[in-house]
Amino acid sequence: MSRYEITVGIECHVQLSTKTKLFSEVDNDARGKEPNSCVSPVDYALPGMLPRLNGEAIKFAIRAGKAMNCEINPNSRFDRKHYFYPDSPKGYQITQFYHPIIGAGYIELPDGTKIRIEHAHLEGDAGKLTHFSNYSLVDLNRVDTPLIEIVSMPDIHSAKQAHDYCKELWRAMVYAGVTNGDLYNGNMRFDVNISLAPEGSDKLGTRAEIKNLNSFRSVEHAVEYEYERQSKLLDKGEKIKQETRGWSDATGKTTPQRSKEEAQDYRYMPEPDLPPIRLSKKFIEEEAAKLPTTPKQYREKFKNIIANDTLEILLDYKPLMEKLAELKEKSVARVSNLFTSVLLAEEKSVEMLNSLPTATQLSELCEMTEKKELSSTASKEVFLRFFDPDMKQKTARDIAKELNLLQENDLSALEKIVDGVLANPATKQAQEDFKAGQEKVIGFLVGQVMKASQGKANPSSAQEILRQKLKN
Amino acid sequence: MKIANKTVTATQLVKDALAKAKHFEDYNIFTFLNEEGALKKAAEIDKRIANGEKVGKLAGVPYALKDNFLSKEGNTTASSKILEPFKSPITATAVKKLEDEDAIMIGRTNMDSFAHGSSTENSYFGPTLNSADKARVAGGSSGGSAVAVALDIVEFATGTDTGGSIRQPASFNGIYGLKPTYGTISRYGVIAMASSTDCIGFFTKTPEDMDLLMSITAGQDKNDLTTLPDYYDKSEAKEVKKVGIIKDFDNDAVSPELSHALKIKVEKLKKQGYEIVELSMPSLKYALAVYYIIVPAEIASNLSRYDGIRYGFRSDNITDLESIYTSSRNEGFMDENKRRIMIGNFVLSSGFYDAYYLKAQKARTLIIKEYEEAFKKCDVILTPVSPNQAFKLGEKVNDPVSMYLEDVMSVPINLAGLPGLTIPAGTSEKGLPTGLQLIGPRRSDKTLINFAKELK
Amino acid sequence: MDTSDKQIEHLAKLSDFSLSEKDSKSLGKDLESIINYISQLDELDTKDVEPTYQVFEMENVWRDDEIIPQEATREELLALSKEQEDNQIKIPKVL
Repeated sequence: MSRYEITVGIECHVQLSTKTKLFSEVDNDARGKEPNSCVSPVDYALPGMLPRLNGEAIKFAIRAGKAMNCEINPNSRFDRKHYFYPDSPKGYQITQFYHPIIGAGYIELPDGTKIRIEHAHLEGDAGKLTHFSNYSLVDLNRVDTPLIEIVSMPDIHSAKQAHDYCKELWRAMVYAGVTNGDLYNGNMRFDVNISLAPEGSDKLGTRAEIKNLNSFRSVEHAVEYEYERQSKLLDKGEKIKQETRGWSDATGKTTPQRSKEEAQDYRYMPEPDLPPIRLSKKFIEEEAAKLPTTPKQYREKFKNIIANDTLEILLDYKPLMEKLAELKEKSVARVSNLFTSVLLAEEKSVEMLNSLPTATQLSELCEMTEKKELSSTASKEVFLRFFDPDMKQKTARDIAKELNLLQENDLSALEKIVDGVLANPATKQAQEDFKAGQEKVIGFLVGQVMKASQGKANPSSAQEILRQKLKN
Repeated sequence: MKIANKTVTATQLVKDALAKAKHFEDYNIFTFLNEEGALKKAAEIDKRIANGEKVGKLAGVPYALKDNFLSKEGNTTASSKILEPFKSPITATAVKKLEDEDAIMIGRTNMDSFAHGSSTENSYFGPTLNSADKARVAGGSSGGSAVAVALDIVEFATGTDTGGSIRQPASFNGIYGLKPTYGTISRYGVIAMASSTDCIGFFTKTPEDMDLLMSITAGQDKNDLTTLPDYYDKSEAKEVKKVGIIKDFDNDAVSPELSHALKIKVEKLKKQGYEIVELSMPSLKYALAVYYIIVPAEIASNLSRYDGIRYGFRSDNITDLESIYTSSRNEGFMDENKRRIMIGNFVLSSGFYDAYYLKAQKARTLIIKEYEEAFKKCDVILTPVSPNQAFKLGEKVNDPVSMYLEDVMSVPINLAGLPGLTIPAGTSEKGLPTGLQLIGPRRSDKTLINFAKELK
Repeated sequence: MDTSDKQIEHLAKLSDFSLSEKDSKSLGKDLESIINYISQLDELDTKDVEPTYQVFEMENVWRDDEIIPQEATREELLALSKEQEDNQIKIPKVL
């Protein structure tokens, strides 16, 4: 069986999280809202309606571009792309075909590989159709939600890399603050072009395009599947058809979509209803300066404090990184562990992310744990209470006190408790066993001390005192 | 256009206008008569006047609205079948401004469907007849509006001018018609034909009325990002000393009547002491071809939204989704709409874009530059609006290219965004009105209107 | 340029018209003469000339990102369509 090199290029649509739509002043966030409740006469494409450009979308695009290390084109404008479909009320999409706002750049993967961005442009999203047995319904809520479409160069050469690129792109956009990044709700959608060529060949093969993938896993699996499918065909000496295919998460397969008899002719035309955009250097720089810390900058910042694996997990949660950045360096490692071990295991982690404890709360918690005022178990316990609506306003110490979690570090007090335990006839046998050399029994005795202290004793101190006493 | 005073009430003015509209019913001027609405508004204005309340600058003045302006009175149909059922929930900015000054719309006027035409014969509701000769066309596309003013039914009427649709019917009916500088009056709520050349303007009986209407309706609109910052009221009319005439218009193409009218006007100007400057503008002869590339492209695009799905006519011959589009559009559009849409899709289609659309946009640059050069030599340009006077009904309607040739002198300024004002220039031996147009540099609208006052 | 039946069919398709054979013929004839007319632009030299898409000197016209009430409500808009269900526009099934 011959070997093939796979080449992948990805187009990604990112819904921008501006307050209003790209061309009218209606709510841009239709999640959980009734059909057609976020629709202006402009979106509905009544006769005589003209687009009213949202300036914020321009600013978001500048930030998004900078987050991908892209040039921002000082001169850009909008174009019309024509096609008839009920999800497109105007009969055309307003996009940027000839002069996009975002020029060339790249996304750097965690392993340092750079995937080049060809360009990215602003455009309006389409509406949504729901199909029933013999009719369809049209909801225009999503019409002209601002999108940027990011077009990569064919620099990707494995399914894993495709996955990593999508994820890194997602992080870049989320950290730039230009999208909610909610994949479940279609905030980012990927069209993946896949072609195979014999290894060493300098020509690309015929590509298949898998449209509308909405998770990193789907991207990865679709690329894997296509590699298998196409290499089998090539092995048999068959040709790959240039076509659009759909992906099913359920079957794990791509299937050809209804192929159009002829190539679409979109008849692009400069949009005459919108004046051109000419951005001064100053304007671009001012917007670029508003770009928040990027994933790459966080990696730099924490690379010697947080283990690489942990860091890559935490990087999926922008609020966590922002919180860690607020802390003193010595608390970062402990808090990042708390985040990883506790928060991410919780089912409601998404909601929790919206109400993270303050830096002061966390710092105090770290200090108390360090001073052994709190055991590591108690520390987690207090941490969890930071998310309890009744407790979240309280300090770490107040919570620890309220829950009786403060460790008994007073050695004389502890000694008294140990004495009490040793005087208890119920521990007699254990004491003898230990003296006879049965090491394990010490655990039982420490447990008794803990019980007697109602859990407040510092177990290692308790063990130390027990050993001393039993030696005598 | 003096306002309802103590001697005449708004109600009386509206009643008179409605009576005249009915009297001239055979001219087929109106697609909708706003009887109830107009009388109601008139009564309200009369009451306010009686109570000594403040009323607008156009209080009680009856006017006619071209059928492509969105307003809540009647259906806004653009004289087409595909929009015949369309009742607008929106009011166009220009209409709002007129209504705010208490003007009273008495009816919507007939036009070439979607303003595609130069005779108003392409209306779904049949042609409008010329005010001076019922066997002849009203001109177009704003034919109904022109005739409504010429027959003195209303004081003024609105129009749109994409390639001459105000100036030419004004000329055919012997009244004033202004196409302002591109971007002067908001296009919001006016059914788009070609976005980069569409202009909103008016028909009036005097230049003074035109000045008042401009002062009321001009101005930047947040709903139309292509409107210019307010300039009309701030601008000063420039004193005209030099009048340009263009040599390049083919003498054979211009009818003897219009050559004569121009000649007489030029002689008169000379006598009045104006300097006449002959201009050479060789690119103008391509303007019509440029126009019939760019404008159909924008038409094809702008008319994509009429699909039978969200509003307007939906064909009964629906079998599947595809047929909603194809049948509704096929049955809802007139032949001329289809021609222009198909030409537009041709010049934009893959393989032809560069040779037609892009080339035309480059030629447009050359035309603009020639005007810029011309206005270094003169203050205004005087030309006929069209090569012929009003032609006979049916004479050209089946020959699209001969119909397009009627636009040869009106379209160049639309491509350049310049203002043009039709002024009456007497009556020919045939008894038909003739008109000429004054053209100025961008934002010289006030100069043109002022010059028209001088020429009266 | 020759406007063959096939080209007319293609343009009708791009325009979404279901033309009858008769209409195709007569429109085809008209289009041919129009295209012949506009093709005279061939002879004009436009080398090194920049295109002009819009005839005003404005740029960067945009609005603030604030939600404001619209001139027509959802109910008014949907009422304009021929059929509705569940606050949506009802159309024949999309295949």
